[in-house]
Amino acid sequence: MEGANGGGKSAATQGGSKATDLSASNTFLFSLKTLKLKTKQQELLIRVSILCLVYILAFITRLFSVLRYESMIHEFDPYFNYRTTLFLTQKGFYEFWNWFDSESWYPLGRIIGGTLYPGLMVTAALIYWSLRFLRFAVHIREVCVLTAPFFASNTTIVAYFFGKELWDSGAGLVAAALIAICPGYISRSVAGSYDNEGVAIFALLLTFYLFVKAVNTGSLAWALASAFGYFYMVSAWGGYVFIINLIPLYVLVLLITGRYSMRLYVAYNCMYVLGMLLAMQIRFVGFQHVQSGEHMAAMGVFFLMQVFYFLDWVKYQLNDPRLFEAFLRITVTCAVGVGALALGVGTASGYISPWTGRFYSLLDPTYAKDHIPIIASVSEHQPTAWSSFMFDFHILLFLFPAGLYFCFQRLSDATIFIVMYGLTSMYFAGVMVRLILVATPAVCLISAIAVSATIKNLTQLVRAKSKVAHTGTGKGTSGTKASSKASRDQSLPFQRNGAIALLLGAFYLLSRYATHCTWVTSEAYSSPSIVLAARGAYGNRVIFDDYREAYFWLRQNTPQDAKIMSWWDYGYQITAMGNRTVIVDNNTWNNTHIATVGRAMSSYEDEAYEIMRSLDVDYVLVVFGGVTGYSSDDINKFLWMVRIGGGVFPVIKEPDYLVNGEYRVDKGAAPKMLNCLIRSSCQKEQLEDEYKLSYYRFGELTTEYGKPPG
Amino acid sequence: MAPKPESQTTSSSPVHTTSDDSSIDPILHILKIFPYGLLRLPRFRLKLPTLRLPSSMAVFSLLLLTYFAVVSGIVYDVIVEPPGIGSTQDRHTGAVRPVVFLPGRVNGQYIIEGLSSGFMFVLGGVGIVLLDLALDRNRARSVKVSFASAGVASVVISYVMSMLFLRIKIPAYLQ
Repeated sequence: MEGANGGGKSAATQGGSKATDLSASNTFLFSLKTLKLKTKQQELLIRVSILCLVYILAFITRLFSVLRYESMIHEFDPYFNYRTTLFLTQKGFYEFWNWFDSESWYPLGRIIGGTLYPGLMVTAALIYWSLRFLRFAVHIREVCVLTAPFFASNTTIVAYFFGKELWDSGAGLVAAALIAICPGYISRSVAGSYDNEGVAIFALLLTFYLFVKAVNTGSLAWALASAFGYFYMVSAWGGYVFIINLIPLYVLVLLITGRYSMRLYVAYNCMYVLGMLLAMQIRFVGFQHVQSGEHMAAMGVFFLMQVFYFLDWVKYQLNDPRLFEAFLRITVTCAVGVGALALGVGTASGYISPWTGRFYSLLDPTYAKDHIPIIASVSEHQPTAWSSFMFDFHILLFLFPAGLYFCFQRLSDATIFIVMYGLTSMYFAGVMVRLILVATPAVCLISAIAVSATIKNLTQLVRAKSKVAHTGTGKGTSGTKASSKASRDQSLPFQRNGAIALLLGAFYLLSRYATHCTWVTSEAYSSPSIVLAARGAYGNRVIFDDYREAYFWLRQNTPQDAKIMSWWDYGYQITAMGNRTVIVDNNTWNNTHIATVGRAMSSYEDEAYEIMRSLDVDYVLVVFGGVTGYSSDDINKFLWMVRIGGGVFPVIKEPDYLVNGEYRVDKGAAPKMLNCLIRSSCQKEQLEDEYKLSYYRFGELTTEYGKPPG
Repeated sequence: MAPKPESQTTSSSPVHTTSDDSSIDPILHILKIFPYGLLRLPRFRLKLPTLRLPSSMAVFSLLLLTYFAVVSGIVYDVIVEPPGIGSTQDRHTGAVRPVVFLPGRVNGQYIIEGLSSGFMFVLGGVGIVLLDLALDRNRARSVKVSFASAGVASVVISYVMSMLFLRIKIPAYLQ
């Protein structure tokens, strides 16, 4: 250019410079034209950018508690998961897989390697090792805290592909956006909630998506992928039983409605056989797939599929409909008879174990209340009221029935699956509050179908009139359709305005949904539970960190081999943060041991002393919230201690602790209540017999601890 | 593949015997000799009922009813057995006043509040279905207009009422 601008050159160079100027401007115009994308590319750009935004949104909406307090692990169960992940990263996989822990459930100990679901820990450890390999010096705690939001973002991507498989890509985008902020999912996957469900919901949706894809395409590769997805789910959460019962139920419904096909045969057989073999690699699951009553439905449907295939083959060979009918009747009778006989023999001989209490109480909700007080006492296991549904779903509760209607309009293998998933998961969500989490992906997908179909209808109305105004007649089928729509439009003059108004209404409703979700996440689901906040007298925010201070005191000031007795809620936290042996913890597998602790807490002091001597207890931890009005302390949980203790030791009777059927803890309480161990430990005056209990009082921020005996 | 419906035509016997002779069913042959060789069947006019799968819309209405039951918290009602409606006593006058919404907890309800909220949710869903029916089909204009207005009214009413219920139940909502 300088050479061209330089003066005193020949006219040829001047002409050459003019030519380069012209070609430069031509290339500039040409590049502007190439920036204008074709419609398909525009659509792809919009889709990819929406998905990226949704991915980031799902991650950052779960970070409230990290920003407010600090990056720490919440609640009770995640502390056990954190401790095991720490062990895994320090000692390696072999040590972790064969770990026997003598620090929990003293004096019994616990075979941790064989009694946990390793998926979560292995996932976090893999992320940690890969980040370390890239020379990012992160601490394992940060990885654990942020695992759940990361997997929530991945779930939105899987939801997009699933929606695309079910309906179309528009429904997929809406599904991804809805599931990114839905409070039902956020409640268990907020940053710091390092629990199995954070990873398990991703695995659940992935397995379902891969299986539906396999049924739609009939390809062995997709079926294989779904088997591996099932393996990941089995390794991650005990809720895999839902998958292994829903998929056979779905196959059965397809068979009944006459949708048997080779694709279904390939997909189900590959997934069942491979998935079962892979699931047996997890020590905790073991041989349950062939031995437990909860898994027998899958096996029954597997054999039924073989019968169907055999009948199909015989029909193809026979070419005689009447003979085939007779053969069909004989075979079906024989197959059903043999199946029932095998099931009966297996159940009677005890080889096939009956449904465990936890899952049986889902089918018969009144069972747990009468027979298993431990299961009934957990607050997450209570049945669901309408307000919990509204709180966790908001708009989606209206869109769910509408989405069901649209699915029934366009019945296919995939929509039948999502309808079944939605209905069964909604029923279970009604039985137990905790299972709203499992229902959330189904509700989001079906609602996305409703939103997508409605908005498509409305926008077609909005665009139809303008199409008629712009295009002339005789443009082929689209022209005739437009003209016919115009003739119908003429009968409804304000149709376009009405459609625009309805579109605005739909966007208003969705924006209210987003507001609600953000409010719920911020106020209700971002509490770490181990750090409590309250409003002080002047409206300032007061933070109570008493739990962690108490555990740290235990870690610093007690001998290394001290044994701590507390109610089972705090066991995991004491072991993880206090680093001391506990008597019972949150993995409530031994009812008698917990009942012994409950009996000690609710007996008179001399009896309690004998029990604690026999358990070799050095310290007792009690939570008392009277000074600040903290409502979920041990005094409020006391009736459950009585019920669980009384379930095993008939000496403890619940009516002894009640006054006129009412539970009181003040001066007007029952005499047994006034003198039992829990209450005397929470009184302010010191007691002079041997057991001075450790307790801490909220609000005073100082703690008083007693001394061990001997 | 559904089991073939048992719609056998038990009309005249000659047709019956020819199909029996070519049957490969051993039990049928045994039964032909004893006892049916001795008995004589009277002429029936009975027909076994045919099992047909219900239409998809019938299944949909059944599912809508189930959804209404679950979302109203019927399992909570059965297990916890709350009263139909709560009551408080006015401190000054001593009169007993009814309380519709259980205060203080998110996961608790009285029976009537559960049923009314569930009805609102189903009404909203039905409203959206009505909107789709109004926009899509080749129906008469008046029917389409009435469907559309009913649909819009249903959605608006159900949304407003549900928000009202939620605000009464959780006083600190959206503050």
